[in-house]
Amino acid sequence: MPSRRVMVVPTTTSIASYVKKNAVSVKQLRKHSHQKTETIRNAEHHGHHILVRTHYEIEVDGQMLMGHMGVTNDGHVHYHPLPNLSFTSAIDLVRQLIDTFPDDFATPGTGSMRGMERKKTTTTTTTKAGHAHH
Amino acid sequence: MAITRHNLLTNDAVRQQYAQGVNLLKHEFTGPTTTSVGIPGPSQPVSTYDLFVVWHHTAMSTMTPLTQGDRNAAHRGPIFCPWHRFMLRQLELNLQRVLHDVSFGLPYWDWATDGQKTATRQKKSKVWAVDAMGGSGNPVKTGPFTFNAADPTSFRIRIEADVNGQLVQRAHGLRRALGTLVSTLPKKADTVGALALTPYDVTPWDTSSSGFRNRVEGWAPPATPALHNRVHVWVGGDMLPSSSPNDPVFYMNHCNVDRIWEAWLTQHGRDYLPLQRAPAFLKGHRINDLMSSLLSAPMRPADVLDMTSIYVYDSLAV
Repeated sequence: MPSRRVMVVPTTTSIASYVKKNAVSVKQLRKHSHQKTETIRNAEHHGHHILVRTHYEIEVDGQMLMGHMGVTNDGHVHYHPLPNLSFTSAIDLVRQLIDTFPDDFATPGTGSMRGMERKKTTTTTTTKAGHAHH
Repeated sequence: MAITRHNLLTNDAVRQQYAQGVNLLKHEFTGPTTTSVGIPGPSQPVSTYDLFVVWHHTAMSTMTPLTQGDRNAAHRGPIFCPWHRFMLRQLELNLQRVLHDVSFGLPYWDWATDGQKTATRQKKSKVWAVDAMGGSGNPVKTGPFTFNAADPTSFRIRIEADVNGQLVQRAHGLRRALGTLVSTLPKKADTVGALALTPYDVTPWDTSSSGFRNRVEGWAPPATPALHNRVHVWVGGDMLPSSSPNDPVFYMNHCNVDRIWEAWLTQHGRDYLPLQRAPAFLKGHRINDLMSSLLSAPMRPADVLDMTSIYVYDSLAV
């Protein structure tokens, strides 16, 4: 049997009350900006433990992307703000971001990009891999 | 008595009710503001419809657990099916409320039927007709969600995720780019193939899992994006970011995913994995873990495994 909660009819009052109570989880997300995102991948192979840490720092026109980028064990790259796609190339992913978020990327040569934080950094993509015997 | 969820294309009345209800929720303001949910800029009231956008984005941006970068509180893991069932039911209850019709059931879009057509004909499906979901474009200029810059009451996107994964205030029309990023929808063979898979989910409980959930979500090879993901990508525009519930078609896609899950539950048994004794690194995805909520009390996957006393589908044929 389903929980009685699936039958509770919402009211304008109940909505306001629950949103007030739960808004903290929405606000907390704003504190999580990812200038440097790290993915930790683990796997086992012939008794060896593999751990791969991958860091992405991505810039477009000198401005850093702040969303979370991750990579799965099969090597596909994904980016939270673009949740239904994964890519074999981080470059292809960023190309898609430029197409998907036109409001955040000004026409080249016209200045700043809305929604993107200006922060000069060097562009790096680093991975570290290691293994240990068990 | 259970309500019935109908095929969008075979029930004109429910299709019209859905569009009417969405527009009513889009103009209902219960008190929350952009400031109260932490969205920067001038403080503006947030409509009930837009609160669902905020909820989806929040769940999608909440990693479960925080120490890994794949599973989140609504996707890329076992919670995908139950969390969206929870979300759909909350929208359905709110639509019933504003429509004053407790018999209203969400319609679904059987996209695999359209997927059997040629790529050109898929874009001409009745789903995109003026009296259904409207067409493609930037902005969409036909149907019940048409944007008119001069009319502040016309359908518009007010809150969306930006490229950095933050919710921001906007004011633009609904955007779609049908068949642009991928040219074709999933096919019947894809849904039939997913339905045959057991168990529901399996280790490593993520986008590389071999069970039903990962296949229907659309991460499993050979062709990706597949199934649910492919529909988001095929529609394009506002269906791409984490604020994808901005497009009312979002719910038609997910109602069909829910229908496929219901077919799976009927065929293979109302089982869910992982169970509660699963390790802590699966917290947020286990059968009795509380799911992310915003507009209501939270629920657990166990609460939504059998909804047959609440709603049924007019067909479980996939």
